Amino acid sequence: MSKSKSQWDFGELFPAEQARKVLSVSELTAQVRSLIEKQVGSVWVTGEVTNLRAQSSGHMYFTLRDAASQLSCVLFSREKVPHRGLLADGQKVLLQGDVTVYEARGQYQLIVRAVELQGVGALQVAFEKLKQKLAAEGLFAPERKRPLPKYPQRIGLVTSPTGAAIRDVLHVVRRRNPGLEIILAPCRVQGDGAAAEIAAAIRLLNEFNHQPSTLNLQLILVTRGGGSLEDLWAFNEEIVARAIFESAIPVVSAVGHEIDFTISDFVADVRAATPSAAAEIITEGVFASRQFVQSLMRRMMQAHPRKRLDESFQRLDDLQVGLLCHGRQGVRERQIACQNLALRLRQVRPKQLLKQRRELLQMNRQRLRELARVRFKDLKNNLAATETRLRLLGPEQVLSRGYSITMDAVTGKVLREAAKVNAGQKLKTRLAKGEILSRAVK
Amino acid sequence: MSKTVRADVSKGGLPFEEALKKLEGVVEAMESDDLPLEMLLARYEEGSKLVKICQEKLAEAELKIQQLEKTASGEMKLRPADVSED
Repeated sequence: MSKSKSQWDFGELFPAEQARKVLSVSELTAQVRSLIEKQVGSVWVTGEVTNLRAQSSGHMYFTLRDAASQLSCVLFSREKVPHRGLLADGQKVLLQGDVTVYEARGQYQLIVRAVELQGVGALQVAFEKLKQKLAAEGLFAPERKRPLPKYPQRIGLVTSPTGAAIRDVLHVVRRRNPGLEIILAPCRVQGDGAAAEIAAAIRLLNEFNHQPSTLNLQLILVTRGGGSLEDLWAFNEEIVARAIFESAIPVVSAVGHEIDFTISDFVADVRAATPSAAAEIITEGVFASRQFVQSLMRRMMQAHPRKRLDESFQRLDDLQVGLLCHGRQGVRERQIACQNLALRLRQVRPKQLLKQRRELLQMNRQRLRELARVRFKDLKNNLAATETRLRLLGPEQVLSRGYSITMDAVTGKVLREAAKVNAGQKLKTRLAKGEILSRAVK
Repeated sequence: MSKTVRADVSKGGLPFEEALKKLEGVVEAMESDDLPLEMLLARYEEGSKLVKICQEKLAEAELKIQQLEKTASGEMKLRPADVSED
């Protein structure tokens, strides 16, 4: 049986004794490190953060693990990682970094260059956490909110010089108050380090305001256009919130769209829904005043003295016409009144009255004549009747039948008793026709 | 707000808000019918001056935008802003 070669027998490669190369630990470790760095190098790796330790140096150490394995990780403070503060045990992350060996411990590890948070709601949780913390500190207190100057002439602008937000803001300002002077403190508004840049820009403007200059900045607008929650995240970072809180100049925050609320919105003195809305708020005073002045000018022209004079002239003309009219009218009225009076006078003049009276007299005379005639006739008739009756009652009737009446011839007294007649007494006897004078014998 | 007024004063003349308020008062007085013509003329002249003041304050100036930068030596300086505008 031939002598089988061991797998460890490298034969000529390792001659005994003088060919053996002994390495120090450091040398070996350096070799391993070099090998790993060359062979593995930069990687993306995903897992869950555990055993997180943040050192006072700002460096962070943690272990990334999955179900079966573990990986030591280091996040140095110099790395611009947007969500550094959100790293916590149990957080699922996607890391980008370089695999190397920490020679002091002979431990291989990942030097983290970038962190992406994974898992739904991680940002939302962080947002709520910071919001509560800052609210508790009084950064959102309503009594801290300062009113904006109504007519700002010079403002600070914190945004990206290349973003959509600055275009919107300038568009609105140009239209509503082109006299506004804008001092731009440019900064990035998303990505690693954006929050620090925003905070620095706010501080820079405050520093600028301290300089003895002719005109101060009257407010600062911190803004960016719409984007994802990640895009807007810089405005949810504590460093930005602190810078706004500490600003001696009132701050307007306008981040994203209407529905987006950021921590900077809560801290700022005024929150605007969008960059355009912010520009409208800032220019409102001047814009409204310009329109007000326009309306006052129109009203002033309405009340222009020339107008009043014209009106007065017209009124004067009216009055003059009226005056003449009224004069003529007066004369006419009097004429008519006079005519009426003349008519009435004619109606009541004496001739007429006399005629009337004469007519009345004539009438009465006629009536009188008529009455008299009737009365006369009546009397005549009465007389005839009475005559007849008288005749019937009178002595003639009796006398005609042969009777006679004897009277004392002297006294004319009718004698009714013979005894009362004296002898020799003169008597007068009336017959139907004629009388007899006689003397009594016996 | 008082800051604004002071700024206006420093710029010279009547503060804007005061001028605006005065102008409003003048126009209201002019609109009242019982203002004698002599007074009306005087008010009109006053109003015209106030309109001029207000318009000057609201002047349609060219929008001025400058960029603030801090140099390496810590000095602050303003320069025309490079803004991409459509």
